[in-house]
Amino acid sequence: MTNHWIDLKNAKVFLIEGSNCAENHPMSMKWIMKAKENGAVIIHVDPRYTRTSEVADIFVRIRPGTDIAFLNCIINYILKEKLYDEDFVLNQTNALYIADDAFDFKGGVFSGYDEAARKYDNSSWGYDLDGDKKPKKAKSLDDPRCIFSKIKKFFERYDFKTTEKITGTTEEKIKLVAHTMVENKPGTILYALGMTQHTVGVQNIRSFGVLQLLLGNVGKPGSGINALRGEPNVQGSTDMACLFGYLPGYLAPPNHNVADIDTWTKGSGTFRRTFLVNLMKAWFGDHATPENDFCFSLLPKKNGKANYSLFQIFETALEGKMKLAYFMGQNPLVTSPNLNVVQEGLSKMEMVVVQDLFEIETAAFWEKREGVDPSAIDTEVIFLPAAAFMEREGSLTNSGRMVQWRYTGIKPPGEARPDLVILDMIFKKVRELYAGSTERKDEALLKATWDYNYDYDDQEQLIEFAEEVLKEINGYDLTTGELLKSIGELKPDGTTSSGNWVYPGVFANGENLSKRKDNENDPGGLGIYPGFAWSWPGNMHVLYNRASCDSKGRPYDKERAVIWWDEKAGRWTGYDTPDVPNAEEGPDTPSGQRPFRMSGEGVGRLLAATYKDPNPDSDLPRDSSSTPADGPLPEFYEPVESPVDNILHPEVPYNPCVKYPRVESLQPVGDRADYPYVLMTSSLAEHWCAGSVTRNIPWLNEMYPEPVAEMSENLAATLGVATGDWVKVRSARGEIRVKAYVTPRMETMLINGEDIEVVWMPYNWGHKALSRKPSTNYLTIDAGDPNTSIQETKACLVDITRA
Amino acid sequence: MKLKRREFLKLAGATGAGLALSRLGFNVRPIEAASKVTRIHGAREYTSICNFCSCGCGMICHVKDGKLINLEGDPDHIINEGALCSKGAAMYEVPNSDQRVKTPLYRAPGSDRWEKISWETAIEKVAQKIKEVRDENWIEKEKVDGETYEVQRTDAIGFIGGAQNNNEECYLFTKMARMLGVTFLEHQARV
Amino acid sequence: MQKAMLVDTSKCTACRACQVACKQWNQLPAEQTEFKDTYENPANFSPVTWTKIVFGKEIPDPENGRVHWPFSKQGCMHCTDAACIKVCPANAIYRTELGTVYIDEDRCIGCNYCAANCTYNVIGFDRVANVARKCTFCFDRITNGEIPACVKTCPTGALQFGDRDEMVALAKKSLKNLQAAGNEKANIYGLTELDGLGVIYVLEDGPKTYGLPEDPKIRLSTHIWDIIFKPVRVLVVAAAVFALWINRGESKKKEGL
Repeated sequence: MTNHWIDLKNAKVFLIEGSNCAENHPMSMKWIMKAKENGAVIIHVDPRYTRTSEVADIFVRIRPGTDIAFLNCIINYILKEKLYDEDFVLNQTNALYIADDAFDFKGGVFSGYDEAARKYDNSSWGYDLDGDKKPKKAKSLDDPRCIFSKIKKFFERYDFKTTEKITGTTEEKIKLVAHTMVENKPGTILYALGMTQHTVGVQNIRSFGVLQLLLGNVGKPGSGINALRGEPNVQGSTDMACLFGYLPGYLAPPNHNVADIDTWTKGSGTFRRTFLVNLMKAWFGDHATPENDFCFSLLPKKNGKANYSLFQIFETALEGKMKLAYFMGQNPLVTSPNLNVVQEGLSKMEMVVVQDLFEIETAAFWEKREGVDPSAIDTEVIFLPAAAFMEREGSLTNSGRMVQWRYTGIKPPGEARPDLVILDMIFKKVRELYAGSTERKDEALLKATWDYNYDYDDQEQLIEFAEEVLKEINGYDLTTGELLKSIGELKPDGTTSSGNWVYPGVFANGENLSKRKDNENDPGGLGIYPGFAWSWPGNMHVLYNRASCDSKGRPYDKERAVIWWDEKAGRWTGYDTPDVPNAEEGPDTPSGQRPFRMSGEGVGRLLAATYKDPNPDSDLPRDSSSTPADGPLPEFYEPVESPVDNILHPEVPYNPCVKYPRVESLQPVGDRADYPYVLMTSSLAEHWCAGSVTRNIPWLNEMYPEPVAEMSENLAATLGVATGDWVKVRSARGEIRVKAYVTPRMETMLINGEDIEVVWMPYNWGHKALSRKPSTNYLTIDAGDPNTSIQETKACLVDITRA
Repeated sequence: MKLKRREFLKLAGATGAGLALSRLGFNVRPIEAASKVTRIHGAREYTSICNFCSCGCGMICHVKDGKLINLEGDPDHIINEGALCSKGAAMYEVPNSDQRVKTPLYRAPGSDRWEKISWETAIEKVAQKIKEVRDENWIEKEKVDGETYEVQRTDAIGFIGGAQNNNEECYLFTKMARMLGVTFLEHQARV
Repeated sequence: MQKAMLVDTSKCTACRACQVACKQWNQLPAEQTEFKDTYENPANFSPVTWTKIVFGKEIPDPENGRVHWPFSKQGCMHCTDAACIKVCPANAIYRTELGTVYIDEDRCIGCNYCAANCTYNVIGFDRVANVARKCTFCFDRITNGEIPACVKTCPTGALQFGDRDEMVALAKKSLKNLQAAGNEKANIYGLTELDGLGVIYVLEDGPKTYGLPEDPKIRLSTHIWDIIFKPVRVLVVAAAVFALWINRGESKKKEGL
């Protein structure tokens, strides 16, 4: 989230798209309702009428996977009718920057497309640079070479007629949404997996970015683009980089051709180099010195051409190359798409280790059931019983980046142990086995800082252990031994350490700030509560809040002023931590005009150009802006399995950077002739993710006992089924049997003159736990977004028959 | 209505004495069989944060004799102000469930059942296997586009977890994976 | 002071937190259920299901390209003119000084006559313990300075608890807002029904849409029972036996376990 949960109360309009927050983030509704009481308007855009739609003022039904067309049409209308916030566009975005003349979009692809490799060379997506390698700027938005003119031309194709044909909604509804957004500010956007689980997941969010930058809805209370993240600590787990493509704090892990820190800095910039050095100091301690490149050579180098996502873990296993998988609190045999691959993959591994609370499906993949014979599966499986969150100590980071501490109040059952302890036991045992080795491959594990000492039976010491790790993450001044108080204290020379550069300050002055609970003090009344827990970075609650002020540093919205330039005091100040490079450098300095300081340009990027910000005193870049692999602007593509042609460019129906199938035998693509209906899937208010926990809670099973297939009355009539009848739902990948729920909440959609039926099913069931029912993910497709590898579980094709 | 902590505490300790007997004009009888104290009277309290979605709602846990006997929203929490959704309110069941696994388990190749093992054995088996797979599948150098690079990693081990884990656990998980040379490091950021 | 609960359906998202919080606080076990025709489950109120979200039939609204999906939290209404109090031969059901209706389980003789006569069918009969059970309005909580578990857990503020006058005022305010927003069907339910309910509803549509009787009345037989039989205390035991006999079929049907 750019903003945070309580900040929702400050909004005047909500665009909820690709989220069923009433069911999946119920507490969001506490704050949305408060805004509604103050007159805010709720817009819900979804293919399915849900419990969220019921409390919305405006409901817009669009076909699954057509969000970009819908949003781009609104953007086009706003651009055409000049409904954008001109001051914001001029001062806070790259609208005036001159684009590279070679940039183009033609025939469904951007310039630089390599059809054979299905990827882009993005060198033409940059700016026309001046002698100092800074982008040249146009005098007005009318300059045909500026980014603003480029995007106007790009979005022009999304006229009402075309968009109606793609999405199934009407010009009237699109205009209603556009005007509601324009006339009610600040406006916030809430989204979740409904936007991201597509092969255009990243570009869906890019459309949000362009829309909010045009409306000036970034950095202000009640504005922003808010990802309602799906798991309790998925913000923290991504911050800590349990991901192949990152090191903690979203730093790039080195590829095969990045041998030293200087090479790494060429890609990531000197700004981030400091953070990397601090990470290396946290991981290798005294071993990491400027002379040995801070042990950079001890980091494993991934093959820059390979993908190491969860899907590849199972696909590599199919080839017999993945021998051992260790799952900590994840149940992919329910949650992953196309479960055949997961089942096959697990069966081909030599050992599977599962650390969890319950005997989950992934741990019991070998259990006898239809199509599975235990005697034919040679995998050794080890189950490590873990303590639940109430039974162990530690912090977690919520969707609004607020880090909160959880205490231990009860003992785990039986011999179950806290995950932290289990991890420590494993690593120490492995290290013991390697003791004395002088081999190059064992150097990292032997040199790593890992000397956590505690007595397992002493609860106090377990608490200290957890806090000791949080201190390591926070970081130290290595010359004084003091804990760091802010990111600003991080040094590039190895005299400080920090395991994750976005967390310094969480343990400022030796106090664990994640434990704070001051719920009284809310200066400004915006819901910031600076003394309650601690938010990264630097206890900042509204990211990009510099953009809430004009070029002079005065708040655009006086009613919701959050930070401002205090001329007298000579500093940025306000109710929140100002998001500026230096609080003492005012609007009359270059650093005072960097509302989006984490991008190389320092401004919001309407077109996500390739750009490296030059360093005044070095050949190495200062910072580097990131650009999606599949284009600098959001283009609409059909899902990989689609019921219709792509009317914008039939020759490029789906994302040209998607490679699918990857494993021909297990990843068949269904044809619309055989599988005419669109399937979308999601979680429920009552069941969550794999259901590993919720299906073991009788009260939740009681309320929602089994998966169903929700369908329109028209489709039900065609199939000859009524609510409660059994139906077979079949995709190119699998088949399951569930009950039908016929409801006016699902509707036949008119798409380019054709009637299209959409079916919805929850995916939260599997063959273990108290409630055992079929997994919808046997049907779904595992095609992935080219940036994130996220699966397209919000749109695939199925056929349905009466069972 | 914002409940303050001190008001909430009354619930755990106070009795029902001192209620004003107001006459409502119909058949009213004084409280007879109603309990004078609630079932959490005398319980020890601690706070936690919900482990379902990412709202980060505060919870109050009541403990008696080492057992969680009640769980509800923390009225002093700025996000949920005492409320919890259906899943959050149902979290009471997690520490109390008889479905929880209480000892390490082992499933041998080809077997159709689990057997209980000790922690010592479990950790020994996992660590030995990590070493074995690592040693047999180490990639020191790799040829990419005709050139050879030193890469120092293994592609035969996958580490997957955990958005349901605490920051400290995620951090050590990442650190351990990278120190072992594991590049297949992932978690459920996509679900 | 008479207490009441406000159920504002315009704020309810049917997350069903109230349903779970009730079971958690009152330590009521889950029932075995299956999907029948709506999200609503369990199908009936029972000795272990005292409150639930009732999901009405979805009503298409083609003019606005949407649907009206009526849901509301229901349970014991704590009626002023309560049939259960009238018919209880053992005098085990009574009105408390907070205006709530309470079943004294120690006095309950298990005749099930209250359940059979309840206007809203919200009383469950526990065959094993041989007692009638229903929502107590979290009597243990509200007499200890707390609010009912269902109200406390409600994320959106759709459920409120307090002095009845205060709840009525809140209901009227919400109704005004709904009317100002153009909802002509919005109404308040529970102000006068059965001389005033302990649960006041703000409904976005007519009561029937939510499965609530439009003009709830106590049955004639209940009145007769109340006037003729109940005052005769010596007949209590005989009455109980009689009641059990006449309600055999009914109690089996409603048990739901």
